[in-house]
Amino acid sequence: MKKLLLATLILVSPLFAQVEGGITVPYIDFPMKEGKGMYSTRGKCNMCHSWGYTLNQGLQSKKFWREKVMKMIVVFKAPIKTQKDIDTVVNYLFENYGNGELE
Amino acid sequence: MERRDFFKKAIVVAGSAAVGSSTIEAAETVHPIDNRKVSDIAFPEKRPLITYSDRPPLLESPREVFTSALTPNDLFFVRWHMPMIPNYINPNTFFISINGLVEKEIKVSLKELKTEFKQLELTAVLQCGGNNRTAFKPTAGGIQWGVGAMGCAKWKGVRLKDVLKKAGLKKEAVWIGFNGEDKAVYSETANFVRELKLEHLNDDILLAYEMNGEDLPYLNGYPLRLIIPGVYSDSWIKMISNITATKEKQQLHFMEKAYRIPDNECECETPENLVKKTKPIEEMNVNSIIGYPVTGTKVKNDSSLVVRGVAFDGGHGIKKVQVSIDGGNIWEDAQLDDGSAGKYAYRAFTHAFKPKNSGKQTIMCKATNEKGKEQPFAKDIQWNHGGYKYNGIDEVTVEVV
Repeated sequence: MKKLLLATLILVSPLFAQVEGGITVPYIDFPMKEGKGMYSTRGKCNMCHSWGYTLNQGLQSKKFWREKVMKMIVVFKAPIKTQKDIDTVVNYLFENYGNGELE
Repeated sequence: MERRDFFKKAIVVAGSAAVGSSTIEAAETVHPIDNRKVSDIAFPEKRPLITYSDRPPLLESPREVFTSALTPNDLFFVRWHMPMIPNYINPNTFFISINGLVEKEIKVSLKELKTEFKQLELTAVLQCGGNNRTAFKPTAGGIQWGVGAMGCAKWKGVRLKDVLKKAGLKKEAVWIGFNGEDKAVYSETANFVRELKLEHLNDDILLAYEMNGEDLPYLNGYPLRLIIPGVYSDSWIKMISNITATKEKQQLHFMEKAYRIPDNECECETPENLVKKTKPIEEMNVNSIIGYPVTGTKVKNDSSLVVRGVAFDGGHGIKKVQVSIDGGNIWEDAQLDDGSAGKYAYRAFTHAFKPKNSGKQTIMCKATNEKGKEQPFAKDIQWNHGGYKYNGIDEVTVEVV
């Protein structure tokens, strides 16, 4: 009986995780610069990822930001549908996180 | 630009992240940004780290970590591509699927991995290809990492080869694709899938469930991740749950577009003239970094200062590390540890000297590997659009008082 119990214990002995019940990733606020198109950009970009992911690309050219936005639409299927919406986001990014260069 | 001026231009923004310098003219490569502070908010299983994003988590280790040959799990950097990461995984129900061009599609539980396969331990450096990206001018695309998007751990797990063998790869199989449990917000968005050509499969590639003697932290890929020693970490898939063998290469953004450099001798290009033919970043360049002292440390005149750091390369092994205290004219050999952690691990080094006179004192370190490759000066590193593979001679400036 004892043997059987021991065998059963070994068979079903569970793996123990170091962290019980999982984790919670904290929310960190990455403030956006005030500017024309901020609310629209927030809605379009921050739905999928933190603003930190955007602003920590560094200060970039207009061409860079346009290519990034297009990558988000084409590769990652971001729901930015109209040319007007694209321009709003690109202009906000360039005006507030631009390096002054168009290309 | 003077290094001190460069520091002044680094902007620290609220939320503890930072943006790069605004230098836009095509310029010499500089030292990466080095003065960012850790966040006041700690992520799960981590001490506070330099925080670039919470969704997905992007966390950088501070320079002080690099005095030690193994990076503690709670100080280890974090980089995910997809923002939706499971916040709970049950180790008793978790399994990895092997499918595609295999004799038998299988699911292997964590317990089976730990009991039915040969268990191996291997110490290896995990480094983001874009580590030190802030060195590149003009600003290269991607997260503007400083010096700490890397770490070294002792990984425990099983050979990928052994797990694939259990499923039995078919003769037609040429590629294996890896996918983890992280997901995008939109279901239409493709997963972060990476591929390995089967001819590159070797005995050192592991499916690891342990890091420095503990479970992997969730943010480093609990409960299972891929370890591919010697290469940058773009294919070290975290929370890996699926492996698919295929004949044809899949068309994947993260393989075809991201993590690629110019396919030429210098692996370089200019912003005006981007090179069309590219190749994966792959093998890590020889590199070294000073963990102590850091820039701004005050040291006493004529007191014994022990410089500590780590060096590594893509697996050929470190031959020597040298230290210069005169701006790179005279180099003295540092003392290396015994190298017993293996060719993919950090080699810890120390170098003692007595600072003379008061004022600023620069300390540089430079590693040379067994192939004779040595680190260049930062200014001699040429630009690439992704800001990959920086390995400039490291430098800190202390104040002698």
